[in-house]
Amino acid sequence: MSTNAFPGVQFLDPAVLGRIGNLELVARTVVEGFLGGLHRSPHLGTSIDFAEHRQYMPGDDIRRIDWRLYGRVDRYYIKEYEADTNTNFNVLLDVSKSMSFGSGTLTKLDYARTLAACLAYFSNQQRDRVGLITWDEDLVEIVPPSAKHLPNVLHALARATPQRTGNIELVFRKLREQFKRRSMLLVISDFYEDPGKILDAFAQLRGRGNDLMAMHILDSAELEFPYDGATSFEDIETGERIPVIPEYLREQYRTMIRAHVAALEKLCGDQGVDYQLFDTSMPLDYALFAFLSRRQFLQRVR
Amino acid sequence: MSFLAPLFFAGLAALAVPILVHLTHKERKDVVVFPSLMFLSRIPYQAVRRQRIRHWLLFALRCLALIFLAFAFARPFLNRPASAAPVRGIGARELVILLDRSYSMAYGDHWTRAVDAARRAISGVGGNDRASLVVFDATASAVTEPTADKAVLTVALDRVKPGAGATRYEPAFKLAQRVLAESKLPRREVMLISDFQRVGWDGRDSPSLPAGTTINKVDLADPKTSNVAVTSVDFRRDYAEDRERVAITARLVNRSAEPRTGHSVTLQLNGRDVETKQVNLAANAAATVEFAAAPLPAGTTRGVVRSADDALPRDNAFYFAISRGQALSVLVIDGREGGAPRSLYVERALGIGDQPNFRVTTKRLGSVSTSDLAGRSLILFNDSDLPGGELGRRLVEYVQNGGGLLVTLGDRSAPRDRPAYASELLPTTGDVPIDRTADRGGTLGYIDRSHPIFELFSAPRSGDFTTPRFFRYRSITPKPGDEQLARFDDGHIALVERKVGRGRVLVWASSFDGIWNDLPLQPVFLPVAHQMAKYAAAYADERPWSIVGQVANLPSIFRDSTAAVDAANKADYVAVAPSGERIRLEGTARRSVELTEQGFYELQRSGSRGEPRVVAVNVDLTESDLTAVEPQLLTSAMLARAGTDSASSTIEASTPVDLERRQGFWWYLLAAVLLLLVGETLLSNQLSRRIAVPR
Repeated sequence: MSTNAFPGVQFLDPAVLGRIGNLELVARTVVEGFLGGLHRSPHLGTSIDFAEHRQYMPGDDIRRIDWRLYGRVDRYYIKEYEADTNTNFNVLLDVSKSMSFGSGTLTKLDYARTLAACLAYFSNQQRDRVGLITWDEDLVEIVPPSAKHLPNVLHALARATPQRTGNIELVFRKLREQFKRRSMLLVISDFYEDPGKILDAFAQLRGRGNDLMAMHILDSAELEFPYDGATSFEDIETGERIPVIPEYLREQYRTMIRAHVAALEKLCGDQGVDYQLFDTSMPLDYALFAFLSRRQFLQRVR
Repeated sequence: MSFLAPLFFAGLAALAVPILVHLTHKERKDVVVFPSLMFLSRIPYQAVRRQRIRHWLLFALRCLALIFLAFAFARPFLNRPASAAPVRGIGARELVILLDRSYSMAYGDHWTRAVDAARRAISGVGGNDRASLVVFDATASAVTEPTADKAVLTVALDRVKPGAGATRYEPAFKLAQRVLAESKLPRREVMLISDFQRVGWDGRDSPSLPAGTTINKVDLADPKTSNVAVTSVDFRRDYAEDRERVAITARLVNRSAEPRTGHSVTLQLNGRDVETKQVNLAANAAATVEFAAAPLPAGTTRGVVRSADDALPRDNAFYFAISRGQALSVLVIDGREGGAPRSLYVERALGIGDQPNFRVTTKRLGSVSTSDLAGRSLILFNDSDLPGGELGRRLVEYVQNGGGLLVTLGDRSAPRDRPAYASELLPTTGDVPIDRTADRGGTLGYIDRSHPIFELFSAPRSGDFTTPRFFRYRSITPKPGDEQLARFDDGHIALVERKVGRGRVLVWASSFDGIWNDLPLQPVFLPVAHQMAKYAAAYADERPWSIVGQVANLPSIFRDSTAAVDAANKADYVAVAPSGERIRLEGTARRSVELTEQGFYELQRSGSRGEPRVVAVNVDLTESDLTAVEPQLLTSAMLARAGTDSASSTIEASTPVDLERRQGFWWYLLAAVLLLLVGETLLSNQLSRRIAVPR
């Protein structure tokens, strides 16, 4: 699949990537292809940009004393940089049963774990500490952030299996105390919850000064509702069934899902949460590009 | 097209199934697993529960399959229509077109439709087929021989018009039976074009058509008919000062479900409207119209009672021909002069009544001359000797030429005084009367009630012959040929008849004077005297009208005088029908004419310039009842008696091949059902795939 939205960039079909079993390979393929096509660095959070000098205080690492400046002014000063330390990059991946849905060969979870792997790989390339938390109605697996935990993260992503229902509010309340230091938190979910509750959950984490990003993964069937013929629809999580004549409520459904997405986007924007909707039929690198470009733009604005 | 098993159309109720299915959107068994029903559950279910029919093509396929299936099971078969074209490939056919031409076919547009149907049937005659046209009413006649020439059939058809006869199906089918039996063509077919009147078939006698015959019907009967008919006319004569008047009463019948008000009825006499009256007729009821008495002119009066026009004009007119009353001239010879007259009772008895009117002349034997015999219908020797000489000879001639002679025996009619010729006229009678006074008189022990004289008394309580007491009577010794009509209780003959020439002689063994018996004092005397007089005089009631189909015997009509009898027997006759057709009847073999037209026939001897005899002819009024019989009953009866197999007892009997050909539609219907079901399967599978997986 290709698109001419970004000339020169060859986007990768998620279905093709889905057939590659090695997540690292997938992530490298996506990220390197993405960077190669970009022709410029995304300049995400560099740690070498000089910010200011600060007077030496007892306890500071003497290795950070600017000796050149000492030679001129005969005082000890410490050089401070814009980002003086690596960032924790945590992926909060929804592995509830609703993520196992896929109208094609790729489920939402497949798409989400590929996306997470790509971003983890990308962040690890920038020497960020990467971690992973999978959750459904409770916390499922936690990989603490570490510069060396990329393989653990990738393995955890590969193991993730949807089994239970999701409860973002409960899980995020539990996670409130999990992050001791400010982190970049990437929430990947299909967000089948009331937008208000979702934002309440986000607030649990954002209140800790975390940088929160939300990736909303939906299958194209969930967006377009292309079904036909009277049938019963079964909730993949609860097993509840209701009779439905799709052709008669398609438009209502589309209206409601669009309203849901719009509400999430608005509420996330209001709370400074980067929100992006991903259609699983969308190429991964295209999705990454769209997300990161948007994030860069927002950082500049902020 | 008809159906052998129309009950299977109840299967069309199954059409409700696809309708319900397509309306109610039956849920599929395979469930669509969806990530969340968060949004779907918010949409009210009832709002989408029942909607309009969807998948119209699939719906139409299913409905058509069901309809065809019901039709196939109903076993459609083809009623070969009047316009049936020849069916090729299964052999030539012998077609007999039975065309009803009874006068009821003139009702409304029946005749036009009948001719059209016959014309279409003729146009369907193939090159190898043969057809014959048979027209029928009470009788049937083939107007063409079996032929394949359509022109001949068409010309013959153009000449046929509705007649005046009544419908009878039996002669038509007998003729068809004969035509079909003589045919060697493989297929036999009868086309019956009729209004199927119930009166035309009594349900008993049905000819048997050859096996394998097919009867096609063209039913012209209207479910609702309206007809008023003049069914009879009654005459009441009265006499005043030698003038005879007649009051005519007509009876009308309304054969419809709707009443008629102000229906006009007109009496015509000799072509002139005499009186018109209005009458109200209830639905399916009769009414009488009485016209004022009118004087009867001399000669024969032609009368018509006409009802107002309606859809069937034939029965709106009732024809009759009447003339002044025919009085019977009776000469009573009351013995020789001297002695008291003894003819009081018989004179009084014959003086009563007008049907016929007796003109009685009583004379003593000595005053009778030969001229007194002329013009007499009856000569009654009331206990009198027979005359001798010339008078006696003329008397014999009178009897031989058809005159009537009635002889009663008493104490004045001793056989020893009779002339020689008497033995020619009378049987031998005893000289000494038989005296029954000792046993209080004898009675009549035997009466031949089958004889015209006593036929009147054959019904119970119509005449008591046990009460008259006979104290004396003379014994009668009959000759061979004499007919004994009554005997006394002791076995002696009471009444004997002898035919002399064309005349009749009756001899009563006792008297009419109340001396030898008390018969004149008994109620039966008057009718017995009338009956004897009428029979001896060969009196026949005048028939004011005849019915179409009857035969007029001309010698009997013209037998007005003894002198004309011989001439009449040798004469040729001419009959002029109401349509103006002249029918010459020549030779002794042709002495009668069949009355086939409605109206007045004029009959005359060839060469005669006198007033012609008029015979009024009316249509058979049973035909005016337009009630139809179920055509299938009629045709089934014709086929059921054919001795064919069970299939031929159905309405449309056919050969097995023909039967299968005309009933074989169900194969095609089932094939169509199969195709429809295949299409339905393909289409529904396609739709199912669209439904099962998102597009």
